Amino acid sequence: MKPIIEIKNVTYQYPGADKPVLNNVTLTIEKGEFTAILGGNGSGKSTLCKLINGLIPHYYVGDFSGEVIVNGMNTAEHKVAELSRHTGYVYQDFENQIVSPKVLEDAEFAPLHYGLADYRERALHALELVGLLEQQDNFIWQLSGGQKHLLALASILSLNPEIIIIDEPVAQLDPQHAKEIYEILKKLNDVHGKTIIVIEHHTEFVASYAKNVILMNKGDVHFKKPVKEALNEVKTLLAHQIYPPQVTQAAADMEMSSNLPITIDEALPLFQGMRELEEKKVINRHTGDKPLVVFEDVTFSYKTITKEKNRVLHDLNLTIYEGDYIALVGNNGAGKSSLMRLITGLVKQESGHIEVNGNNARKTAPEHLAEIVTYIHQNPEQMFIDDSVKKDVGFYMKARKDPMAEEKVAELLNQFELVELADRDSRLLSGGQQRRASLAIGVGMQPKIMLLDEPTANLDIATRKHITRILVDLKQQLQAVVIATHDMQLACEFANRIIVMHEGNIIHDGTKESVFENYTLLEKAGLTPPQIFELSRSLGWENPVYTVEAFVELYRRKAVSDGVYA
Amino acid sequence: MEYTRKFTEKLSVEQVKIELLNTAYGNGNTFFASLDPRTLFIWYAYFGIFPWFIHDVKVLIGMFVFMLITTYMAKISPLIIVILCLGLLGQGGYLLIFSLFFGGNWSVMLPLLVLTVKLSVISLASITVFCSMNPEKLSNGLLKIGLPGQVSFSIAYGYRMLPTLLEEYHHVFQSFRLRGKAPAKHGFLYIKSIAYFVKLAMLSFYPLLLSTAKRARTTVEALETKGSMYGFNHPEVKKLKLAGLKMKKRDYYFLTGSFLYVICLFILL
Repeated sequence: MKPIIEIKNVTYQYPGADKPVLNNVTLTIEKGEFTAILGGNGSGKSTLCKLINGLIPHYYVGDFSGEVIVNGMNTAEHKVAELSRHTGYVYQDFENQIVSPKVLEDAEFAPLHYGLADYRERALHALELVGLLEQQDNFIWQLSGGQKHLLALASILSLNPEIIIIDEPVAQLDPQHAKEIYEILKKLNDVHGKTIIVIEHHTEFVASYAKNVILMNKGDVHFKKPVKEALNEVKTLLAHQIYPPQVTQAAADMEMSSNLPITIDEALPLFQGMRELEEKKVINRHTGDKPLVVFEDVTFSYKTITKEKNRVLHDLNLTIYEGDYIALVGNNGAGKSSLMRLITGLVKQESGHIEVNGNNARKTAPEHLAEIVTYIHQNPEQMFIDDSVKKDVGFYMKARKDPMAEEKVAELLNQFELVELADRDSRLLSGGQQRRASLAIGVGMQPKIMLLDEPTANLDIATRKHITRILVDLKQQLQAVVIATHDMQLACEFANRIIVMHEGNIIHDGTKESVFENYTLLEKAGLTPPQIFELSRSLGWENPVYTVEAFVELYRRKAVSDGVYA
Repeated sequence: MEYTRKFTEKLSVEQVKIELLNTAYGNGNTFFASLDPRTLFIWYAYFGIFPWFIHDVKVLIGMFVFMLITTYMAKISPLIIVILCLGLLGQGGYLLIFSLFFGGNWSVMLPLLVLTVKLSVISLASITVFCSMNPEKLSNGLLKIGLPGQVSFSIAYGYRMLPTLLEEYHHVFQSFRLRGKAPAKHGFLYIKSIAYFVKLAMLSFYPLLLSTAKRARTTVEALETKGSMYGFNHPEVKKLKLAGLKMKKRDYYFLTGSFLYVICLFILL
């Protein structure tokens, strides 16, 4: 069979760049493949995908050589518009890809503009495929983040392209929605025979859904292999800062020979004989007794476009003590952000009472509360108000005419590894750098309490680990921290208290042990615990472990004590 | 203090956003919304321009009454009406004060009132027409009367971006508030606080421009892949897109009715 995509000796250099981003790349993709592209930041993943719909070389000028043939068409000889009918591309910042105000209109946009008379049917069919049919008359502002992503997908499906490319589908979604989108992709691949290409950092999704893996490194295809083989190359992947699924890492650490498991189902039989140690951990939630934030019967609503009130928090009661490092978990729309924004005083509750360090939050201006509480936005760009990292970090101190400002800024830049970036515009930094800059800004405000909204979203796993480490180190400088997150590994490593929210209520307030061992709770709140935890639970352990290191450690000790598994 | 707080809570950015969207998209089921955009253009071409050339106070008042009725029928958002009234009063008011200051007397009141009535007729006609057409309809109407696809698309797209931009502006503004330092005292008549907020409101535009420029790149690429250029250059796409636009009976009735009303004004008054 003839491959659907052929890339031959392609070298490409962005205008103004000093070295090529793609370096003599040669690659073929067969029809009906489900391929995941892995690679660190800046390895050329997105650029590779832009070759396929012709944006390169038609849209980006730059030095292009080589040949790309998609579905029998040489991309250099066909227009983007023509090529786009064969290749659909869902961007990472998919929100900017939605161009119409209403759901159905956006789904119709492409077929309508290509002059296809059956545009309405095509749009409806596409919306049905992604499960948005009921939303067809809604405004896009009424959609949740996950639904917007599905709409972006539907809008390209309406052209019925043979190839679908999705750039980091999981980055902005909670685990449940992420799974949903992958199930749809799987259906498109299995039932409709589409060729699917995803750029993905989460190897656990890759293991469950992809058939092939391409590893990119510095503008080059390092390898293309079937998924099982690819994820078994643990050393190579780690060297490229890609973390294989936790079960694979664990098996590799235990020096199991070849053929490492990549999913829990594969791992189970391998570890079947392994039993946990008898010792029972003491679950001890130690927090201080000095309350910093108190919520009493707080309700919060906002008005929707249809002028109806939408209640986000229902009679919420919560006390945050000094020494609390809280992970706030739950689905998108559970009320996590609302809860945090109430503490900043930027929004006010409908009823109930909120006290922040002795101040009535309703009556205190946000400017005043800002000296006690800092809120770090999910999107760091919303915090950048000056034109260089240094000025942004120093803004707060300068406004207060702090005589020590210079020294303090220098210290912060050092702490967050921003010294070399000090004079750059924060908006032009990479995701991880932006995140560090936003943290430096936050710490620079010398708050007692720090609130972070999804601090590890949109980051590749290596950067994620880096940020997690920085956050863990930060604890000493702060009296209390609240992190809203979908990243359960972060929650496990960072928090001493986990609060689970669901539909505007706190449905659980405990520790990682009490959360992850409660199966119905996980189900209800749509949480996915770390894979290694699931494995140890599936093995029937009473005290499952949370990290690969703990799992391997347990295995080693066990092996020493009875010598069976060595 | 209590009142100002309540007032500012009502006047949140969220609220403004909702009003704006409702004004743009929320009037889908009024009589005017069911008319063809061309009807509304023709109607507006008369009521938006001719009042300038009419000096008969009675006719103007007759038209004004007609506009009041249409505005009521179009279910215009109260916020828009308030802004309009403030504008008209401000305009008339400052002219009056000026003329008194430079030696005029109360006799200027009458011509000023005539001017205000003229302005009101034109403004009310504008809001009736433009609030009754959602941006899609407006852009389709413009496309139908021969404007290029790019122009009509920009209008529809501008509206789609409006809430996003407003939200982003709000975020930047809040960041300024949280990291800056508000004046310790409000000052005489809140002067210090007002000056502070006005300054922030202006500063907030700069980061917004930069981040918008960044977003626009994806959008432009996406438009390309969605065939918008193809669509703008092919007449059959335009035909397909505008197939839904038809002058119906009610359009003709409405135009005839308005015409007869104006004729009656001239003849009877």
